[in-house]
Amino acid sequence: MKSFSFKPFVFLIVCLFFFSATSAFAAPPDEIVIGHPACLSGKYAKAGEQAVGGIEACIHWVNSEYGGITLDGKKVPLTYKKYDCESKKENVTSLIGRLITVDRVDVVFAPYSSGLTLRGAPIAEGHSMLYMDHGGANNKIFEQGFQYTVQTIGPATSYHKGTLDMVKKIAPDAKKVALAYEDSEFATMVMEGAKTHAEELGFEVVFERTYPKGVTDMTPMLSAMKATDPDFVLGGGHFEDGQLFNRQMSDLNIDVDCLSLIAAATLPAFYEALGNMAEGVMGPSHWEYGVTYSQEAAKEIGTRWIGPSQDEFVSLFKEAVGDQDMVPDYHAAEAGAQVLAYVLAAEKADSVDSGKVRAALGDLEFMSFYGTWDISDSGLQVGHSMVDVQWQDGKREIVWPESAQTGKPCYPMPTFDEKAEGEKALP
Amino acid sequence: MFLEQLSGNLVQGVVLGSVYGMATMGLSLIFGVLKVVNVGHGAFVMVGAFVALFFFNTLGLNPIFAIPAAFAVGIALGLTFYYAAIRKLLHAPELATLLATFSAGVLLEETIKMIFGSEFRGYNWDVGNIDLVFTALPMSKILAALGSVLIAVLLYVWFKRTRAGSAMRSVVEDSQGARVCGINVDGVYAMSFALGIGLTVASGVLLTMFIPVGINPYMGGGYTLKAFVIAVLGGLSSPYGAFFGGLVFGLIENTSYTVFALIPGVEPFALTRFLSFLILLIILLIRPTGIIKAK
Repeated sequence: MKSFSFKPFVFLIVCLFFFSATSAFAAPPDEIVIGHPACLSGKYAKAGEQAVGGIEACIHWVNSEYGGITLDGKKVPLTYKKYDCESKKENVTSLIGRLITVDRVDVVFAPYSSGLTLRGAPIAEGHSMLYMDHGGANNKIFEQGFQYTVQTIGPATSYHKGTLDMVKKIAPDAKKVALAYEDSEFATMVMEGAKTHAEELGFEVVFERTYPKGVTDMTPMLSAMKATDPDFVLGGGHFEDGQLFNRQMSDLNIDVDCLSLIAAATLPAFYEALGNMAEGVMGPSHWEYGVTYSQEAAKEIGTRWIGPSQDEFVSLFKEAVGDQDMVPDYHAAEAGAQVLAYVLAAEKADSVDSGKVRAALGDLEFMSFYGTWDISDSGLQVGHSMVDVQWQDGKREIVWPESAQTGKPCYPMPTFDEKAEGEKALP
Repeated sequence: MFLEQLSGNLVQGVVLGSVYGMATMGLSLIFGVLKVVNVGHGAFVMVGAFVALFFFNTLGLNPIFAIPAAFAVGIALGLTFYYAAIRKLLHAPELATLLATFSAGVLLEETIKMIFGSEFRGYNWDVGNIDLVFTALPMSKILAALGSVLIAVLLYVWFKRTRAGSAMRSVVEDSQGARVCGINVDGVYAMSFALGIGLTVASGVLLTMFIPVGINPYMGGGYTLKAFVIAVLGGLSSPYGAFFGGLVFGLIENTSYTVFALIPGVEPFALTRFLSFLILLIILLIRPTGIIKAK
């Protein structure tokens, strides 16, 4: 009878030990790849174009100015692999799978919007892949128990806090607020936060209604809102409905002291489309050109600074998109800042392993041109503060918080009749 | 207060409905004559919106001047598309023309995006407001509604009083019989398709006179959906039916909001959509050809 031999098992164990040892002490990779199912076409194409420009600008800065990510003493360059998800949920899931399994990326950046971000999160989670969210503000993304999802953009519930604080401070007599918003996950969450804060400040919510995505006529809803005679209105959802909201308020002569619209009002296209009708309209923004984040400001609050200055970012962005007339907005800034967060976390972890980088992100605090960065245990962004901008004489002025002001708020804003006669919103 | 809002929304509904009706006439005409369902309908509406935008923002011309220009662009697009694709697919399974019109829509969207970019644009044509006590109505909306009615009347006269219109009606009635009588059926098909697309593109200008914002390459999707509801409501093969269907749809959309707003705890807009599609379903079940028969 042939005796049982242990030799193959010993050989196998030695091989496994050798393999794990070499893996543990693996040399740094030649490149670190950021994967991104970007919204290059479809309804979020505008925000997607900005985000891609912001990411490419910051990758360029990391590789050329910063020298790459330092891993095990070696500088490793960042590369960027993107596909067009066409702003469609079904494409997001398949593209994230492709990026992870075929392209073998090291981190996945989520597409723009809460809905698309939420759709992709379980796919990244299933592959234990770090999934960084630059355009999905809905808090619910971070209530699902995902371990690998972290946020750069601020949470939706904080969008209108500044606007409400501003009205409370500069117009103590204002009492009645109307909330009219798109019935999307994002806008609903924004207005939940706004409603809670409004009630905390003692405002009376006299009107609260939603409208569907893709709405083409808001007249019935706005007529009902007019009947409640609000002092100020918080509304909107995305780009097209924000323009329609303002336009039809003007059509129906609904004059209020303050109108703040999420997403749309901060974009140059908003004023280009509406002209003088947009004067005085406000919007919360994650970032605006003119914010006062700098190396000195970081030093003052005792936090680390990384990245290009605000002006350098603008210049890199224009170079990245190949259009000197295109100005970065907050979609570009938040996506770019996410690159910088990843760089610092990978260096801190000294690895590109998703679990280790995710743990490092949890302990990370820093400032960049985008502002401060800090996340909660669930991955929700808690370090970044928003600003409120107002269209004044064709320019976007940061009017709140007072510490970031580039101009005083114009309150009450001119009536639509006054604006039709050419009056500007000047404080 | 309720009556005031209801009256205001009735007026707004009639004005909006006439523009919706005009925006659906092209879809019904094409289906009525060629039995082709143009699922790229909204993209052609979008082209019209960009024509209006170009006229106003670039040429500095009143959007009313953009209506004939958009019609001409639509005729050219329709003829090109008919001879390039539709003509070859007329006897193919229905899925082929569905896919062809869908592809044409996507092609148009991406072409416009390449030329104009993906931003949401708009224009400001301020010709004043009319204050009706219970609501305010911009003159641009009234002009859009009047323009829609005028085009619908012109189309009616053209159908009834011209040889080309008679030929088109005879093809709708019996294409084989029309061919036997010496009518160039292929020519009628080409003319109908081009006319349908021309009307659709022109309606894009009228829609921007009603809503001059949110103009972007992907704006057509919502209008395609509405156009199908309106077309079924008014009679899928009848352009006039589509016009009246538009009026009914505009009234339902606007007035039902005011009524649904009385129900506590519901979002009226969600119910107006529900109602629109419920009506569509009921009509499909009891009268699949629509309320108004093709003539």
